[in-house]
Amino acid sequence: MKPFKHYDVNTLDEAVSALQNFAGKAKIIAGGTDIVGMFKDEVFAERPEALINIKTIPNLDYIKEEDGMLKIGPLALLEDIAHDELIKGKYTALAEAARRTASPHIREMGTISGNICQQCRCWYFRSPNNRFNCIRKGGEDCYAEEGENRYHSIFGNVKDCLAVNPSDTAPALIALGAKVKTSKRVLEIADFYEKEEPKKTTVLDDDEIVVEIQVPQPAANSKSKFEKFAIRKSIDFPIVNCASQVEMDGDTVKSARVCLNAVFANPYVAQKAAEYVVGKTLDEETVTAAADLALQDAKPLTKNAYKITIAKSLIKKTLLACK
Amino acid sequence: MSSFVVDKKGIKRYAVTIGVNGSEYTKVIKANTLLVNFLREDLDLTGTKRGCELGDCGCCTVMMDGKPVNSCLVLAMDCDGHEITTAEGIQDGEDLDIVQEKFVEHAAFQCGFCTSGMIVSSRALLNENPNPTDHDVREAIAGNLCRCTGYVNIVAAVLDAAKEL
Repeated sequence: MKPFKHYDVNTLDEAVSALQNFAGKAKIIAGGTDIVGMFKDEVFAERPEALINIKTIPNLDYIKEEDGMLKIGPLALLEDIAHDELIKGKYTALAEAARRTASPHIREMGTISGNICQQCRCWYFRSPNNRFNCIRKGGEDCYAEEGENRYHSIFGNVKDCLAVNPSDTAPALIALGAKVKTSKRVLEIADFYEKEEPKKTTVLDDDEIVVEIQVPQPAANSKSKFEKFAIRKSIDFPIVNCASQVEMDGDTVKSARVCLNAVFANPYVAQKAAEYVVGKTLDEETVTAAADLALQDAKPLTKNAYKITIAKSLIKKTLLACK
Repeated sequence: MSSFVVDKKGIKRYAVTIGVNGSEYTKVIKANTLLVNFLREDLDLTGTKRGCELGDCGCCTVMMDGKPVNSCLVLAMDCDGHEITTAEGIQDGEDLDIVQEKFVEHAAFQCGFCTSGMIVSSRALLNENPNPTDHDVREAIAGNLCRCTGYVNIVAAVLDAAKEL
């Protein structure tokens, strides 16, 4: 690892002013499970000069219900979210997603804010010492287009970049309709991800940090579910994952939200599936049609058409589980 | 904020105090020192192994304030003021810990490279949950890869150790 500077901060304001002082040349470190790996492999377009450690800020790992919503501090650990009784009961998809993220060791380090902000795992992007100068690093080519693209996007590219977002908690938070509060603004989590510029994962400015995650209380007769397909159940990043939340009105669906991830540069909201099930009963036939509709727009690459089958199956499973 | 010195090349070195296996060590380290390297190279505690260095294999598992973490993904800087327990610290003086004894009894290793990580993860589980089920044990060691044993004897050893706690 090349040398860098390291600052411990005691408040969020200190963290923001430290970021401002470095004018884009510093990054935040919380759990560190993603950024330490990036430093090791030297996979930055521009290597940060400094890391600002926010783990030293007290009382940011809270999980509480307040003002009619669930509030999660940016330093809440994935392991704590996975085993929190309140989240398991009312915000099921989020607890399940946190529980299926990585291994227990990484969940003990990794935070919820880090999980939603993490960089992609594209193996060309992550190839050590910036071996591939891909679009995400300011280059001109996406090596996945003609190379090994079995884990890449099935819904097209963002400015030719085919990498996918690997977060497990992001689709769960989108299905639950969460908001991200940053040091500057409050964003719907679906708008939190950068849609135009592949060099950035999120819309966060250089001097902006996540300060809270807010999940509205689900309606009384609603349920949520998260499902993930990965090679090894115990640790791997998702091949495809999916989270759904459905509010029922008697036997029929009143409203629904379905979100896939690891299929596109950003979490992919399966709007067509969600719209299709409204007003219908959740049976095998309905969910199959919804899943087919959601994947209608898929444009698989040379080696990843199999992800379509998986995505359909996960949409069906999560929707049926919300009955 | 920890105090630091700047060397001739302009690289900052920081003074940190880390508790390891019950003793406190104050050292001057670079910001890019990983906990696993701090333990192995500065403290000569080579029981903690360096495996994949990506957080995948779990060979470098240590307890940080009682929780199992991958020391290859933790900056030593971030352990300032925290308590680390390594495989050496689990042992009680010259005597093996019950988990270590049961690993020997059940032949829960072959090449042995994953063993210290397995033992730390298992011990962390038993400290939290003295009556684990087979599933609990498998989940606790989900972040530890073993390419030799097929895990069966490891799980049996941990369950057996739990009975004698």
